[in-house]
Amino acid sequence: MHAKRLAVVVFKTIAFGAVLIWSLLPIAVIILSSFKADRDIFAIPPKLQFVPTLANYEALWVKWGSFFTGLANSFGVTAGATVLAVALCTIAGYAYSRFNSKALTASVFFLVVIRLFPPIVLTLPLFPVINYLGLNDTHFVLIVLYATLYVSLGTVMMRTFVDQIPREIDEAAKVDGANTWQLLRQVILPLVAPGMVSLSVFVVVYAWNEYLFAFIFTTTRARTAPLVISEMIGAIDGVEWGVLFSAATLQLLPVLIFVLLAQKYLIAGLTAGATKG
Amino acid sequence: MSSIRRPLQTAWLLVSPVQALLVLLILVPAVYIFILSFNRSSFGVSPEFVGFDNYIAVLSDGRFWKSALNTIIVVLIIVHVEILLAMGIALLFASGTPARALMLAAVLAPYAVSEVTAVVMWRFLFEPDIGLLSQALAFLGLPNLDWAVNPTHGLLMVSLLSIWLNLPFTFIILYSARLGIPGELYEAAQVDGASPWTRFRQITLPLLMPAILVAMLFRYIFAFRLFSEVWLLTGGGPARQTEVLAIYLYLEAFRYNDFGKASATGWLLVGLSLILALFYLRQLQKEMFNAR
Repeated sequence: MHAKRLAVVVFKTIAFGAVLIWSLLPIAVIILSSFKADRDIFAIPPKLQFVPTLANYEALWVKWGSFFTGLANSFGVTAGATVLAVALCTIAGYAYSRFNSKALTASVFFLVVIRLFPPIVLTLPLFPVINYLGLNDTHFVLIVLYATLYVSLGTVMMRTFVDQIPREIDEAAKVDGANTWQLLRQVILPLVAPGMVSLSVFVVVYAWNEYLFAFIFTTTRARTAPLVISEMIGAIDGVEWGVLFSAATLQLLPVLIFVLLAQKYLIAGLTAGATKG
Repeated sequence: MSSIRRPLQTAWLLVSPVQALLVLLILVPAVYIFILSFNRSSFGVSPEFVGFDNYIAVLSDGRFWKSALNTIIVVLIIVHVEILLAMGIALLFASGTPARALMLAAVLAPYAVSEVTAVVMWRFLFEPDIGLLSQALAFLGLPNLDWAVNPTHGLLMVSLLSIWLNLPFTFIILYSARLGIPGELYEAAQVDGASPWTRFRQITLPLLMPAILVAMLFRYIFAFRLFSEVWLLTGGGPARQTEVLAIYLYLEAFRYNDFGKASATGWLLVGLSLILALFYLRQLQKEMFNAR
């Protein structure tokens, strides 16, 4: 019995170790290497102790100024898409939670079905239209597209969160003479705020990291950070790994920290959106 | 009557922005390319009706079948490996986790990583001679992952990347479902003298099944769209050998300017997604129209 328990402990330790290595090794390698001088990056065996340097970041600043414009674009697009998606999904989620009719139910069904449409297929019809309207290479297009791709999941998610608020609270506010808009803003909004944070975690991660639409609909002015990084991968044939790592680190760290801080909301959101979708 | 109709009007008003976005930016374009798929069309050329010619052209194109086959292989690998790994990690976590919050944070971390950054990471890990994993493979006497030259290795690397990026999603769905199983069930089974394997077969697996199906479905649908990982890693090469359907569609449309053929590919892709999702949609329809 004792030996068996020991075996379980050993097995679990190894398993947890493997999970940690799998998840964190790739992230740790690029973040650490971004602070290494070239000779340390390529040292065999890999060095854990090294003199940290900002040389890669300086080189990034000098050679790839466009990356920082890209970061600023990513920031603007992410903020815009998140505010738009969360606002629209919250009011729609409220309506789907509180009102009921056959047609409304059918429209939720539409919401879920339309999400099956692959984004790559959308680029075909949208490309000429967006060009025609002179909207290509604008932040606006990315903001609206990113929000649109998330409103399905977002609305279902917000409906689940509003469902958790007792209807008696609505009734009480209505008795006090509040109209729908006041009810939404003063009663529902504060109560559903954690749900809104959950949804925003998803939209932020998606918009910050998205590649396909950014690749097809932007060229210079609205180019986002992932796009500039992909150019860095392509442009440098002898790959300047150090500079590439510094860009990847700057692109990754803000959203990584955000996700880890908002971990609890991420989990709540997935359970509300995915499993009940 | 009017007291019933008025609140409903409010409801429609509140859902209209969301519905408008979906109709304008997804439904209308979808219908448009459905029409386009029966026309010969390119940039600046007015469409000309050709019936099923585009579908025939796509279905008789060897590259389409190659990319369809690649997609199916990659999707099958991704979804099943991911479910198995996620299930293993979920059960490991449920059996008691030291520093639970930190461990959870670690497993969730790849969720924050973009496809582009993941490509940078994994390319470096497998970089010949200098990468950590290529050195480890060499140490074990195994050949390195030759993703740039060998199409099979390229697709393996794509699968690896995709699994790594999406495992957090699948894990959370399965882990929260596992936490939802009442502990008393296991206690009762233990009293009855059920072995761990029996407990897994009789309690864990059946009760996790709904969550497993949801996770699989989501992953099937999303894995079918696979574009960025392949595009950024191999670009579909060498010699279009690692193309997946989304890449095939992109190239037809934006490199060869054949919008008709690309539209037909698009609808074939939609059709495949729908077939995959049919089971789920039927369940959903039953649930929604009966329960609410």
